[in-house]
Amino acid sequence: MNAFLGWRRLKRELDSLTTTQLVIVVVILTFFLLLPILSILYKGFITNTGQLTLSYAQQTFSDPEMIKIPPNTQFIKAVQIFKFKILPNGSRTLVPVNTISIGAEGPDFGYILNSIFVSTSVMVFASIIGVIAAFIMARYTFPGKNVFRVLLFIPLLATPFVNAYVIGKVLGPDGLMNFILLNYLHLPYKIVVTGLPAVILIQTLSFFPIVYMNVLSSIINIDPSLEEQAENLGAHGFKLFRTVTFPLSLPGLAAGAILVFVFSMEDLGAPIGLAGAFGNGLHTKLMSFYVFNQFKQAYSLDMVNPEAYIVAIIMLTIAAIGFIAIKKYVSLRQYAMLSKGGRWSPRVRRPGWLGLTAVYIFMTLLIIVASFPQIGVVILSISDWATSGPFPTKLVSDYMLALVEKPDVVLAIKNSATYASLAIAITVLLGTSAAYIVARRNIPGKETIDVLATIPIVIPGIIVAVGYLIFFGTLFPNTLFDPFINPGTLLIFTYTVRRSPFLTRSVFAGLQQTHVSLEEAAMNLGASRVKTFFSITIPLVAANVIGGSILSFVYMMNEVSTSLILGSHNPIQGPITFLMSQVIYGSGQVSAVSIAAALGVLLMSLQIVAIAISNYILKQRVAFLGV
Amino acid sequence: MVSVRLENITKRFGKVIAVNNVSLKIEHGEFFTFLGPSGCGKTTTLRVIAGLEMADDGRIFFDNVDVTEYPPYKRNTGMVFQNYALWPHMTVFDNIAYGLKLKKLPKEEIRRKVKEVIDFIKLSGMEDRYPTQLSGGQQQRVALARALVVEPKVLLLDEPLSNLDAKLRVEMREEIQRIQKRLGITAIYVTHDQEEAMVISDRIAILNQGKVMQVGTPEELYKRPRNLFVATFLGRYTMLEGIVEGMSSEGYVKVRGKDVELLGTVTSRDISLKEGSKVVTIIRPHAFKYHPPKHVHTTLEGVIEWVSYLGPYYEARLKIGKISFLMTVDPSIEVHVGDRMSVYVEPEDILVFPEEAMKEESYMAELRGA
Repeated sequence: MNAFLGWRRLKRELDSLTTTQLVIVVVILTFFLLLPILSILYKGFITNTGQLTLSYAQQTFSDPEMIKIPPNTQFIKAVQIFKFKILPNGSRTLVPVNTISIGAEGPDFGYILNSIFVSTSVMVFASIIGVIAAFIMARYTFPGKNVFRVLLFIPLLATPFVNAYVIGKVLGPDGLMNFILLNYLHLPYKIVVTGLPAVILIQTLSFFPIVYMNVLSSIINIDPSLEEQAENLGAHGFKLFRTVTFPLSLPGLAAGAILVFVFSMEDLGAPIGLAGAFGNGLHTKLMSFYVFNQFKQAYSLDMVNPEAYIVAIIMLTIAAIGFIAIKKYVSLRQYAMLSKGGRWSPRVRRPGWLGLTAVYIFMTLLIIVASFPQIGVVILSISDWATSGPFPTKLVSDYMLALVEKPDVVLAIKNSATYASLAIAITVLLGTSAAYIVARRNIPGKETIDVLATIPIVIPGIIVAVGYLIFFGTLFPNTLFDPFINPGTLLIFTYTVRRSPFLTRSVFAGLQQTHVSLEEAAMNLGASRVKTFFSITIPLVAANVIGGSILSFVYMMNEVSTSLILGSHNPIQGPITFLMSQVIYGSGQVSAVSIAAALGVLLMSLQIVAIAISNYILKQRVAFLGV
Repeated sequence: MVSVRLENITKRFGKVIAVNNVSLKIEHGEFFTFLGPSGCGKTTTLRVIAGLEMADDGRIFFDNVDVTEYPPYKRNTGMVFQNYALWPHMTVFDNIAYGLKLKKLPKEEIRRKVKEVIDFIKLSGMEDRYPTQLSGGQQQRVALARALVVEPKVLLLDEPLSNLDAKLRVEMREEIQRIQKRLGITAIYVTHDQEEAMVISDRIAILNQGKVMQVGTPEELYKRPRNLFVATFLGRYTMLEGIVEGMSSEGYVKVRGKDVELLGTVTSRDISLKEGSKVVTIIRPHAFKYHPPKHVHTTLEGVIEWVSYLGPYYEARLKIGKISFLMTVDPSIEVHVGDRMSVYVEPEDILVFPEEAMKEESYMAELRGA
């Protein structure tokens, strides 16, 4: 193809609509994603005097705090905890309590390896639980299945920090678990779970639904005739699962597992929530917390240990590798749906009584354990449980009322709602533009736009926040975009960039299902591209725009990492999650955690409404956290 | 109403050449069809005319206006899409009125014109329905009405009948033809169905591998195919290999096959044959006659090996040596398997092509398969 032809075609593709959309997408993604992230690389490898250097990287990798040699692998230890006991005469004395401590002193491999250890473990456990649950729900029918189906949404509801706090409280020395162990099972010792094992437990419980949803949608999309053919040839039971069903659902599992790994790596909720229950311990010795801690304290970038940049770059690299792997597997995903035609009757069967018992035990245990954090959050928000010991003793309305009465709480809610609303407006513009260009236009570089528009799903928010601090802090000091003065402005954009992939993917899916001839017919009748876009394209994908917006909005309200790091630089502009982290981690008041719980209940309610709208009103089965 | 002229149109998709240097002229008011196997470039050619694809090379003229660089919305063509492309969020009325609203016609005029066209396509009373509430045939009519109501210069139809069942397809193609003739509009039609093309078209262009193989009236194409592709693409046939033995005094070609001798015709001046050239001959099933004609002809004698009843006629295979000739047999003649039978073919009905054409053909077929 000669250059003239290329130019002629490009000129035709770049009509006023496409040009406008392209400018919107390129400007937002360049300034609020690409350049900030590149500035981290700059900080990690260029000295203050402008010299290229590997010394920060060397320093990081030889830091025993980062990579501990030899590692401490002892994760169970019997210890004696001294506790006050009130004697009959009213005086108090210290008595030793035999305790088995899990995770308090080990394992500890240093920040970097700890994160990789935790994320790998969470990925494995979440995958096992997710695959079993998905297979049961996809292939078996049993009384009460719909109840389980609805209940399985509970662990999906995100309640940052407070869920970890609840688990910490249950697993702590005076928690519910030890109460049961001592008073009912009469064990001679207490068991305390903290440190990395506690993080793994909490993250597994909050992230297994990601695997569950992705694998479930994979299995449901398998053409039944593929399994019927295998049965026809004599395969059944586990053999059928192992040789046909499971391999065909692998793309869903791969995508889910990789997402879990990345989400676990960037998670701040578990370390901060556990710190609220136990104080600082090994559960905060993770890359995400390290970076967070470095930057939340820093009033200027000079105070930041350069190792933080290197740690951020490591996280970014892992996330990018994960994204590439998902892209590869999602394109593979289509093969399960290749064959067409024939009847699509769902392949469900009734298990025998033994199977039925196993299904009930597994599902019941899973739902009780996995939804306990959410239930605990509700209890915390309406009772004195935060201060009362193993069980709550009375109902308290103060915390829920604080949502409308306490000025700083009201302000945080208002901030979140303002940022999320403005961000949604920009997201609709950005997401529909990006999706339309990728789905409908033929311009060089659109693959790059596709990648840039979807990659924020896996980019840790901490990385984005750090990038903003460097890029906007250095280049736009004392302006509306100065993160140290006006974090609110930047929060709008970080919400946009981080959560727009939900809308972009949703609109893109809508465009793919809409035959392009519907738009061509309009142009054939004399409608310009702009007219076609607004009178045909947008109405046809309206449900996808609305569905994606709702989803994006909810995830904006829940957004943790950038809210924390940017919010900490001007607390008046802090959003809900920032306030929650403050009252859990920062505030000395013990019962303050209940206010965080009340905010958690607010966030859960929003999510329930969003799920209900997208499932029942828009009839959209949004693969909730899937890519 | 305009004429449409394509000059050296070429369109590539990556490395695939979808349309390869196509030049032809479609006359005022003509019903013109692009016919060919799937992937031959017929739809792409239509989309280039509509402006939905831009040609890499060549020019398009509507009358004498060069529209090559015009965007689709400035070409004033009316297109009917294969899947109808009716907007599901609009009623029948709104679908049809869309193009008129874009022209900013007064409301009353829009209402009047839409009503006219709805009456014309016999869909009165359906104005307020949504496309999903219509049958396939009704959707087809709405799509046609939507394209016609804007009074386009050219009507473009992209396999419009392929989603209808067989009976409706026959009804609709007659209706489309009737409408086209009544309005006198230039129509360009794309199909892979040869019967449909033959019935509906004034002229047909047969396309293969992005190239025009032949343009002509249905009769010309069927009776005088200029190359082996056209001969084998249209209708059924028996193919026979042989060697040229010479020319008869009447100008026919004497061909010696393995078990038979034939007297055939060369259809194109482009074909030159010498004595000893390897050739293939094509004979249509209905070319066989039961009584010897008065002038020169080929006589074939063999055994009936297979007979099938098809209603208005029989089909039979006549075996001579290793060759089996497919022929249609009039029901008035009784044939049975095992009968010996003599049949006669006039030289005009035996089409002779050089053998290289077949190699090229099988090469093309391989390409198509790959």
